[in-house]
Amino acid sequence: MMMSGKKTTLLELKGGDQLGAQDLTLLSLASLLVFLIPVFYINRRLKLKINKTMSASIIRMCIQLSFVGLYLEFLFKFNSPILNIVYLLIMISIACQSILKSSNLKIRKLFIPVFFSLLLPFAIILLFFNAVVVRIDNLFEAKYMIPIGGMLLGNCLRSIIIGLNNFYSGIKKDERVYLYSLSLFSSRIQALKPYFKESITASITPTIASMATIGLVSLPGMMTGQIIGGSIPIVAIKYQIAIMLSIFYTEYFSTILSVLFSLKVGFNELDVLNQDIFISKK
Amino acid sequence: MINFESVYLKRNDKEIFSGLDFFVQKNEKVLIQGKSGIGKTTLFKILLGFETIDKGRVTFNKKDIVKEHITEIRHQIFYLSQDIDLKNEKVKNLLEEILEYNLLKNQDKAHFADLLNFLDLNDIILNQSIKELSGGERQRIGLLIGFLLDRPVWLLDEPTSALDDIMKNKIIDYIIGQDKTIIIISHDDVWKKNNTIRIERW
Repeated sequence: MMMSGKKTTLLELKGGDQLGAQDLTLLSLASLLVFLIPVFYINRRLKLKINKTMSASIIRMCIQLSFVGLYLEFLFKFNSPILNIVYLLIMISIACQSILKSSNLKIRKLFIPVFFSLLLPFAIILLFFNAVVVRIDNLFEAKYMIPIGGMLLGNCLRSIIIGLNNFYSGIKKDERVYLYSLSLFSSRIQALKPYFKESITASITPTIASMATIGLVSLPGMMTGQIIGGSIPIVAIKYQIAIMLSIFYTEYFSTILSVLFSLKVGFNELDVLNQDIFISKK
Repeated sequence: MINFESVYLKRNDKEIFSGLDFFVQKNEKVLIQGKSGIGKTTLFKILLGFETIDKGRVTFNKKDIVKEHITEIRHQIFYLSQDIDLKNEKVKNLLEEILEYNLLKNQDKAHFADLLNFLDLNDIILNQSIKELSGGERQRIGLLIGFLLDRPVWLLDEPTSALDDIMKNKIIDYIIGQDKTIIIISHDDVWKKNNTIRIERW
């Protein structure tokens, strides 16, 4: 109640003739490309051979985001819980593939464990966010579920990559030490513990560091978007705190689960690392 | 106690064992000699479940080396690897962790002190981390762990390679005098002076 009341005042102050952010015309958006001219010029003079990759990346970004715009519009229009859930499941699958590829692990072998290690914390935190924190009636409301879900997933991607990579390449590199621990402790859990600890620490450290500096160095994108979209700063900040905590929890639990769930595939019956989970580099 | 029956193993297209038969009785001491690359260390790795054989049968105490028995089997074997691949931690903490995990926390303090003394180890070494130790010191720490764990079967891969002659003799006598089943891989001829040891030439 308070929130909506404040929002009206703000809009009235601005004149009340529009809701949310001012739309950008295509022409005005394209005008930003003007600054590419000096960039191209400098690249050329410095003989930096990145003009091609740079252009390709910019074009890809525009095309990909246009598509996202189209199907988000579609999702928002129907606002069907099933459609939203399917959309998020597809996003999780894509995230899994990208995680395994970046960690140099075989998709065929590790897709299922990583999929569930993402899905479980993700679903719990997302529903909690919608039900307890924002208190919306329709838990599967596209307007909340899709963007918040996307933010959680995008951040988990990085932390699971760091976690899995650290764990498996750590043991691979250090295999003799691992096996020797196995012989001394005669317990897989005890022998794996140091690698597990190291991978969890490595994966959550960046988020912990960014929580410590957020607001000092940079204004987070979500907050900026909300303020431009018409929210007053205090509301945007509350959301930002809620989302930072949610990101942290999802990252933390999904990284731990991804290591735990993958153990069965990652090691053979006698606790030796399965070399065939790695994508062999030729 | 330890049986290898017509064992075949191939690694990277190289025949390591083709029909190996090898038996060790309880409390027997066996010295394996032979040039490197012939599969001596692989023998130990098979017993510990680190390598899986292609054909044949290996048993430890009449038990196959499979998932159901592996923890129990590993718990009975002390393995000293050639490079003593201990994780890099402070020696003291590592010893504590190993003993605690093997439920040997209440070690006899006097026995511990005796072993340290016997192996010519001291507090300074215990407070260093594994990477700071010399080859000889690491070897003696490895042996110390084995002596403390007191498991019934010892698999020792070049246990005396980095030790001086006095220490070598002392340790060889100590090991041979144990009431345990012990297999030793060594190029050291000092082991042969003892006639209770069975010598296998590969």
